[in-house]
This record gives sequence, C-alpha cells and structure tokens, in this order.
Amino acid sequence: MPFLQHSPAFILFCALTCALLTALLPSVSDPGFAADAENAAADLTSIKAAGVLRIAITHFDIPPFHTRQPDGAFIGKDIEFAHELGDALKVKIVFVDDPPTFDAVVQTVAKGDADIGLSKLSQTYDRVAYVRFSEPYLTLRHALLYNRAVVSRISNGAAPEEALRAFAGNIGVIGASAYVDFATADYPKAKIVPFPTWEATIEALKSGKVDMVYRDEFEVRSILIHEPALHVEFGAAVLSDRRSFLAMAICDTCVKLEEFINYFIAQHPRAYLLDELLSVQYAD
Amino acid sequence: MTKLGPFLKALKRWLNHPLTVLGSVAIALVLGTSGWHFVDSLRPIGDLYIALLQMCVLPFLLTTIPLAVRSAMTGATNAVVIRSLAGWIVCAVVVVAMIGVLVPVIVFHFVPFDGSTIAAMGALVGGTAGKVDLEFPIDQSGSSIGAAADSGLLALVPSNIFSALSTNDTMPVLVFAAIFGTSMVVCERRSGRSLFSALQSLHDACLLIFQWLNLLVPIGIIALIAPQIAPLGPRVYIVLAHFSYVFFGLSAAILMLSIVILAVALRLDVPLTFARFSRPLMVAAATRNTLACIPIAIETMTRELRASPETCELYIPVGFASLRFGTILHFAVATMFVGALLGRSFSTGDILMVAILSVAGSFATLGISGAAALVPLAGVLRPFGLPYELAFPLLVIIDPLVHMVRIMLNVAVNCIIPALAAGSRLPQAALVIPAE
Repeated sequence: MPFLQHSPAFILFCALTCALLTALLPSVSDPGFAADAENAAADLTSIKAAGVLRIAITHFDIPPFHTRQPDGAFIGKDIEFAHELGDALKVKIVFVDDPPTFDAVVQTVAKGDADIGLSKLSQTYDRVAYVRFSEPYLTLRHALLYNRAVVSRISNGAAPEEALRAFAGNIGVIGASAYVDFATADYPKAKIVPFPTWEATIEALKSGKVDMVYRDEFEVRSILIHEPALHVEFGAAVLSDRRSFLAMAICDTCVKLEEFINYFIAQHPRAYLLDELLSVQYAD
Repeated sequence: MTKLGPFLKALKRWLNHPLTVLGSVAIALVLGTSGWHFVDSLRPIGDLYIALLQMCVLPFLLTTIPLAVRSAMTGATNAVVIRSLAGWIVCAVVVVAMIGVLVPVIVFHFVPFDGSTIAAMGALVGGTAGKVDLEFPIDQSGSSIGAAADSGLLALVPSNIFSALSTNDTMPVLVFAAIFGTSMVVCERRSGRSLFSALQSLHDACLLIFQWLNLLVPIGIIALIAPQIAPLGPRVYIVLAHFSYVFFGLSAAILMLSIVILAVALRLDVPLTFARFSRPLMVAAATRNTLACIPIAIETMTRELRASPETCELYIPVGFASLRFGTILHFAVATMFVGALLGRSFSTGDILMVAILSVAGSFATLGISGAAALVPLAGVLRPFGLPYELAFPLLVIIDPLVHMVRIMLNVAVNCIIPALAAGSRLPQAALVIPAE
C-alpha cells in the first residue's frame, strides 16, 4: 500500500488531523446540538447513582401535555408519565423548563443539560442526528386548517383535495418546531411562515397573514373544539399519509436508558390516547 | 260474517279518512319528540311497510306505461295535452328554482347571521370531537382512479331489462316500458291483436294491492316518521334556523299553492282537495320514496280528484321518476344559505346560475337516495367558491326532516302538472263528488 511507504511521523500527523476534524465536525455544522464531553458517558447507571432524572420540557405550556400552574407546579399527561417513569427508575424527577422552543428541548438533551426531553416532540431527520429517540408513545397524523374561501378559489369548482396538495401560498407553522421541516418537505412551492407560538399562528390565519396552518390532528381538532366558530370560515383536513411520531428525546450516550424507556413505553400502551387527550382538553 | 261486513267497511272508511292520516302524522310527531326509546323499535315496521309498497311498483310501472302510451297514440291523450304537459313542466321547474334562489337572497339580506349562531354552526360541523372535513394522502401514487361513471343518456338505456328490474333501476325500466308500449300499439294496428287487455288486468290487480296497502297508511306513517324525528333535538332547528325557516316556509307555501292550483285546475273545493290530496302527501313524507308514491298518487288524482286518467297515467310515472322539485328547491336554498353564512354576495348572473345548477343537480340525484343525494350539491356550491365540506355536515343533520319535505314537494308539484295540462276528466255539471 502506498501510504505505508510514508514516514511514521507523516502517518501520525494524518491520524491526529482526522481525529481533530471528527471531534470538531458536529459543533461546526450545528453548535446547538453539540454534545457535552462531560456528559458523554451519562447513562442509566449514572442517572440512578445521581438519583435524579432531568427532563426537558418547553418553557411554554402545551395543554394537556404539560401546563404550569400559578404555584409553579406542573400538571399534564407528560408530567404524569414522567413521574411514572421516575417511579419505575426509582429516581427523582426534575423538570428543566428553560427551552423556549421544541428544537431547544432537543438541544438541551443533546448538550447534556437534561437526560431526556418529553414535550410532545416529533422525530425529524435533523433531531435524530443528535439525540436518541425512544419508540413513539403516540402517533399523530399531520393536519391542516385552511381558509375555505381561498382554497375554494384555487380549486376552481373542483374538490379541494388537489388544491390542498399543491398549495403554493403562505403556510403558518410554529417556528423551531418539527413542522417547519414537515411543511417544507410537503409544500416545496409554498412560503413557510414561522410564528413563535401556536396561538400566534392561529391569529395569523384569522387575520389573513397566512391561508393555511400546518400541525398535527390533535392540535387542529383541539382548536376546533375550543373555537367552533372557526370551523365555518376555516376547513380542517388530515393528511392520511403523514405522521408525527411523538417520542422522548434521550441523551445520545444513554443506550441502557433508551432500552429502559422503550420497555416502560411498551408497558403503558394506552398512556396517550388521542380521543382521551381531546376530551381532557375540552374539559379544561 | 254478515255482522263483520259493515264493521270492516266502517274500518276501511275510517282508515282512509283524511283526518285519520293527519292524526297519524300528529301521533308520529308526538312520539318522535317524546324521547321514548321504544320509538326506534318502530323502524322494522316502517321498513316492512316500504318493502310492501315497493313490491308492486315496478310491475305497476310496466303495465301503466304501455297503457298510457297506447292512450297517447290512439288519441285519448292528444298532442295538445302533451305540448301542454311540456309547457307546464318548464313553468314549474322555472318557478320552483327561481323561488328557491330569490326568497333566500331577500331573507338572508335582512336577517344576517350573528356570532353565536356561527359558533353554534361551527360546533355542529365538527361535533364535540372537532371532526375534520377531509382526509386525504399527500402522495397520490397508488391511489385508485375511479371507474368512469356512465354518461347521463347511456344510463337511461336498459341494456339488460331484467338486471334493471332486479336492481330497482327505475329510469331504464321506464324507457323500456315506453318503447315496448309503442311497439305493442304498432303491432296491434298491424295485426289487430294485442296484450293490452291482459295488461289492463295486471294494472288493475296492482292497483287493488295498493288499495289494500293503503289501509296500512296510518301505521306506516307512525312507524316511519316517528323514528326519523326522534334523533333531531330542538337545538338543531335553532342553530339552523335561517335554513329551516326559509326551506320549510317555502315548502309549506309551495305545497299549499299546489293544492290551490289542483283545486282550481280540477274545479274542486280547496278543502276537499286538501283532504283528499293529503293522503299521497303523507305517504310521501312517511316513505321518503317518490316512486313508492306513484300508485297512490295516480289513484288519488284519477279516482278521488277526477283528473284525466290518461294524462295522469302517462305523466305521473315519468314525472315522479325524473323531476325532483323538492331537490331543486333544497339545493337552491342550501346554496344561498351557505353563501350568506360565508358572507358571499350573489350577482344577478350568479342567482340565475344557482337556479340552473340546482335544476341540473336535481337530475344528478336520480337513482340516489338518503344522504348520498346531497353529493350533487357540491356541483352547485363549488362554482361559487362555496365549500361542500361545510354544507354537508350541516345539511345532513337536518336531512331526515328535509328528505320528507323534498318527497312531498316532488309529489305535489308533479301532480299539478297533469291537472293543469288536461284539467278534469268530467264536465262541470258532473263534478259533484260525494263527501266521505
């Protein structure tokens, strides 16, 4: 082999250069998801030894998944599920609620500031590159809420499905969420407009800044239950072949923790049921 | 047996009395709104009654149409009457369609929708579970392409008459009966022989069966109407008040007008016409099947109201099978209702187009019944940018009641056409009908 004919010093130089590049590459491509070297070895054993499982959730409420009460305590389906997981692990649960976005929850886990993220997180190609994901605990189909008049005009007398498939107007999504990626992939001709919150996204739809919003069927159906008047002006559609796999983000080194969580999820197959979530939301 | 004879006659008279029919409707409405669970168990009785009525409809049509064709070709129903029929058909279609668009435009202009009504309607659309309007895949690959439907004219041709008979496909049966009747008349002229006397016997036998079944009309009305009313709570009518008031108000006006026109055309008293014509109307409401009403409509028109039997027997089967005046009115009012709900204004051209599309849409419902008959409404709404996905869930809630009224309108308006075209079969002096 020709490279074996080089001097040992040259081979050593090449090896060190490769090692350095490999170490730097993730932080160059996306510093937000860079792993913290100190936490690289974190896994089930170290978590149990510490007696604490740090769980990242978004700073904003996502009822009925998690909501902060006036006294600062959290309630919701995610919170109940987290405490049950803590009981199974025999550790205390600590919530890390700084992340301002869904992506930030994943970044928090990737950086090692939390062991897992449990905040209605969807798996995406980008996120999978930086953290592990558990098996999905809930699968939701993607959904649209659209301005009926605009879509009817585009349909030109035909059924609205085709106009919705090839929509090229403004689509509102929550910024730094998985739906930015989903909408970009499904609607390459449309202009994807991010908003800081779901409430702001809905307001943009009402005010006509966007003609359609893109999220999952739970959130779309939920808004129709809470604001039924919207259903007259705005239509709702489910994309039957597009799904969000809601799963826990797990630190990249936590192989055994992932195994434990997957077993825990398998033991709780009915922890999250769409109709039950909608009825809880409705009861609120 | 001799003692039973008068009792049975009295029972028959009582069962056929218009007040008994109207009383049955009142009982059905009371039961339907009572909330009693047993009301739903009346459905099998109602289904049995419809099955009995439908049992003889096709044999009746197969005998009636050739006889009517013979009557037309041998001069009993002359060309003037046929031209007059065509004229009154056009008149009736135009009047119903224009009323259906103009009255809602005026009403919805002066009675706009308020926020709470819109919210309540939104809740009706999605239900308590926030149901979505559509589900479809983004990727179309692998989705099946539906077989092309038969074109309108091709669907009328009975390539296999036995298949059409076995599937209750009425229009091809009517086309076959008309062609077959024509050929029978031609054969009769050539050879002097025909089956018409046998057909007349079969026709009379069918009519007799229908007369027997007419004794069950009060039971049929109660068993069919009460379970239809039961699921509809009063809230539905409040939420859909704009549509309900206009559609039911217009329908009532057209039904009353039809009775007055019948009375004038047949030179009868209005109360008497109302009393006798209420029976086919109530059977229409109960069965929600226009074709099942053909025999009772012909019987009422020719025997009780003394309309020209030749004209009635020629027109009523064809008219009942092909002209759906109730659907025209329903589609026109529904389109203006959805337009008003979404704040869409209609120009004069739009209004005319809604009327034309409502008529075209009514033809698209031929052979379809139930909620599926609402599907052609999409073809009326969408050209104006109005979403069918919004209209359907609202209209389907109230459709059990609207369906009854649609069929009543089909029967009423179709019955005035032969009356206007041919008038009474008796001279003025002979028009003394004994009161029952």
